[in-house]
Amino acid sequence: MNPKNCWHPLGLSHSIEAGSSAGTRLLDRELVVWRDNSGVAHVWEDRCPHRGMKLSFGFVRGDHIACLYHGWQYNSGGHCQYIPAHPALDVPKTIKVPVYPAHERNGMVWTALSENPPSVPDDDEPVVPLRSLYLGCGVEAAAAALNACRLVPFGSQTPADTTVSRLSDTLFALSCAQDRLLVGIQAISNTRTALHLSIVGSAERYNGAGQSHLNGWALQWRQALETRAANARLDQDVA
Amino acid sequence: MTHEHARFVFKGTFQPASFVEFAQHRAERLGLDLQFGQASMEAVALNVSGAVELVDAFEMACSLGPFDCFVLDVVRHDVDLAA
Repeated sequence: MNPKNCWHPLGLSHSIEAGSSAGTRLLDRELVVWRDNSGVAHVWEDRCPHRGMKLSFGFVRGDHIACLYHGWQYNSGGHCQYIPAHPALDVPKTIKVPVYPAHERNGMVWTALSENPPSVPDDDEPVVPLRSLYLGCGVEAAAAALNACRLVPFGSQTPADTTVSRLSDTLFALSCAQDRLLVGIQAISNTRTALHLSIVGSAERYNGAGQSHLNGWALQWRQALETRAANARLDQDVA
Repeated sequence: MTHEHARFVFKGTFQPASFVEFAQHRAERLGLDLQFGQASMEAVALNVSGAVELVDAFEMACSLGPFDCFVLDVVRHDVDLAA
């Protein structure tokens, strides 16, 4: 995987409400995901050019985000528009936050680190958000764990044969009986990975009980992974 | 917004190349026009012009300077362009 040449999921769309912001990390870069009041998601470097404060601590007002520290306001293009300490100042265009592309697909917010990323896949299946999971391993180990997983389908209590397909460098699909999960893989760092899970299907079928069932499976799956990793470390220490 | 032209002499202990790069970066970030005068291990002279608030911000930034330079004194002369 060339991380410069693909789209990366940063979180579930429903977890970033309009008028709010959240900090995250991608390949050791600090990013802020914020959603303006009209519902458009933005992905920027999480750093005010003034004094370096995280913009994820800031306030969203309309289509602007304002830094918590000195109130510098940035428009949706990342340009500083207003400095409260100098209200008459015509702020130069050079005071700008680095901005990354942002798209929403499959219930997730995606970004790319390249200025010319590949086109966003057209398919955007109707999904129900499930949850995000955070793992203490790199993306390849997370991908290997996904390839070996067995889903417990909604309405059943036992794991069943699961087909795992890699739809792109950073998106997996888990299919089992009538259920299909999409899993976006976010490389936080070499040793930390986030998985963002959504369920393909209608809210009528999965909202509530379906989400609860698959959420329980996801938590048990992560628990099993962590237990195996802890045991492996123990074996290494003993050896 | 008032436009201002100011002549600065920063005095102290300098790595001239380091200070020049630092000042250039700050001027670009603040959208100021910058022209360097003489630069030595003891002093760096420069002219800067732009909005008065941003010239003030430039002075503050350069008075801290990069990690390998010590600015001990700043002499500022505001030039009246109308004169």
